[in-house]
Amino acid sequence: MTAEPIGLPAWSAPFAKDRRPDLRRLATLEQIDRTWAFGDARGAGVRIAIVDSGVEADHPAIGGALTRSVRVELRDDEGIIVDDDPVDVVGHGTACASIVHGLAPEAELLSVRVLGPDNRGKGAAFAAGLEWAINEGVAVINLSLSSRSEAMFGLFHELADRAYFAGALLVCAANNVPVASYPSLFASVVSVAAHDVRDPSVWYYNPRPPVEFGAFGLDVDVAWRAGSRIVATGNSFAAPHVAGYAARIRGAHPQATPFEIKTILAATANAPES
Amino acid sequence: MSPDPPDDVDARAEEALGALQAIALRVEIAGRLIPTGGRAVLRSIVDATVTLFGAEAASLALYDAGADRLVFEVAAGTHGEGVVGVSIATDEGVAGYVFSTGQPIALSDVAADRRFGRATAEQTGYVPRSLIAVPLTDDEGTLGVLEVLDKRSEASFDLHDVELASVFARQATIAIRVSRLDRDTASLIRGVLASAAGSTAGDGPGDFDIDAIVAAATRGLHSEDEGALWTVVDTVARLRAADPAQLELVSEILGVLAARAERAADARSRRRAR
Repeated sequence: MTAEPIGLPAWSAPFAKDRRPDLRRLATLEQIDRTWAFGDARGAGVRIAIVDSGVEADHPAIGGALTRSVRVELRDDEGIIVDDDPVDVVGHGTACASIVHGLAPEAELLSVRVLGPDNRGKGAAFAAGLEWAINEGVAVINLSLSSRSEAMFGLFHELADRAYFAGALLVCAANNVPVASYPSLFASVVSVAAHDVRDPSVWYYNPRPPVEFGAFGLDVDVAWRAGSRIVATGNSFAAPHVAGYAARIRGAHPQATPFEIKTILAATANAPES
Repeated sequence: MSPDPPDDVDARAEEALGALQAIALRVEIAGRLIPTGGRAVLRSIVDATVTLFGAEAASLALYDAGADRLVFEVAAGTHGEGVVGVSIATDEGVAGYVFSTGQPIALSDVAADRRFGRATAEQTGYVPRSLIAVPLTDDEGTLGVLEVLDKRSEASFDLHDVELASVFARQATIAIRVSRLDRDTASLIRGVLASAAGSTAGDGPGDFDIDAIVAAATRGLHSEDEGALWTVVDTVARLRAADPAQLELVSEILGVLAARAERAADARSRRRAR
């Protein structure tokens, strides 16, 4: 048995001489380009949760990538996860999934349906769905919705931290109106708004938080309910583009943490004046 | 057994009745000043929406907490009327999604895909080419959804439209909330009375005549000795409904009358001085 180095407190142990081989260092920012970041990786080995209105499994744009569907049921204001039919009563979740699948076709999709008929409990349902996805150990969680409830601030903050430490990158659509919304405005998440360039491969990094990324969200051709397609605009269609690229990065770098993926996304963003 | 002597209870009841009468008076005045109440506010919102966006139609759905559904209350524009009265689940359709998530969406080419259009047409008799749906949200929460249909000048709505609609909806929400306050005050009085009756009657609210208390609180509102007050209130109400040209005329007449009254007063004081 190896004794812990004397004189180093617990948080310092990972940096002791005999443990230092376990540490890692990202490439320098100059070395990081899109070829390094994901190259030909198409998301193989990566699981992505779509926390939304459900995903239509047999939609041609989903390509059979959906492997599990759950939904949240509220019992006494507590969210319980139950298995769900792979359906989408709105179309929005299928739209987000189709964007992610288009960019990372080899990634596995999980659907967490959090839109329930009971409006009062929607914050609780949303939190329960998010918690389930974190516990499932997925690499990327796409959230096109947020809660404005001040009462939920603490819970969402805790969940955002848990996701970060568990290695799950939260990709959140920013709200259109500049009001408090959680978790999209927390520092640990990737918060995304739409830009006005009609190109899915263009994303920008904004060094002025809270909304640090801009992605394709204007007139996006997306899958919708009942096997249909429509053209959609909004921040909630920009977030899945970033989620898709995050999945490809994670596929190419399976050990990458949320912090590292966010850094790589910033380093590979389009040049400000391109 | 009641801990208070009966005299004390009577004094408190007297005081409460006095307060209720004062509230009832204010509600009556507010009701006369805004004769058409909430409906007029909703109508002005959809009318303004059509003008603001150069849209073919606009509609507004409010959340009915009792039924847990969204109900389309008003619409403007030639194609909008068919939706009035339609109610949808809060987790269904574009309006349900926007209401549940607070996330605005813009869609176009909606009619191009018949699978999408059919479901909409069955409910409203009209399928738009493009639409924006934004939540009616303020700091207090979400009241419903505002939809803008078919921008006349463009095939679809852009990001600026989504933002403008979101900001406009926020203002509209505040207006709706203010108009509701007036309406809700009456039911609030009933609620307070019911709970007061429940706490003092001992055997529950059932054996307490709420209508008798409401009658006592509103007694005298229409009595002749207050006639002058109601004449003023009704006159102000008519003035509020008048168009600006009429108001200007009235203002000029009042100005002339005031000047004449001043001259008369001056003349009287000069006569007294002599």
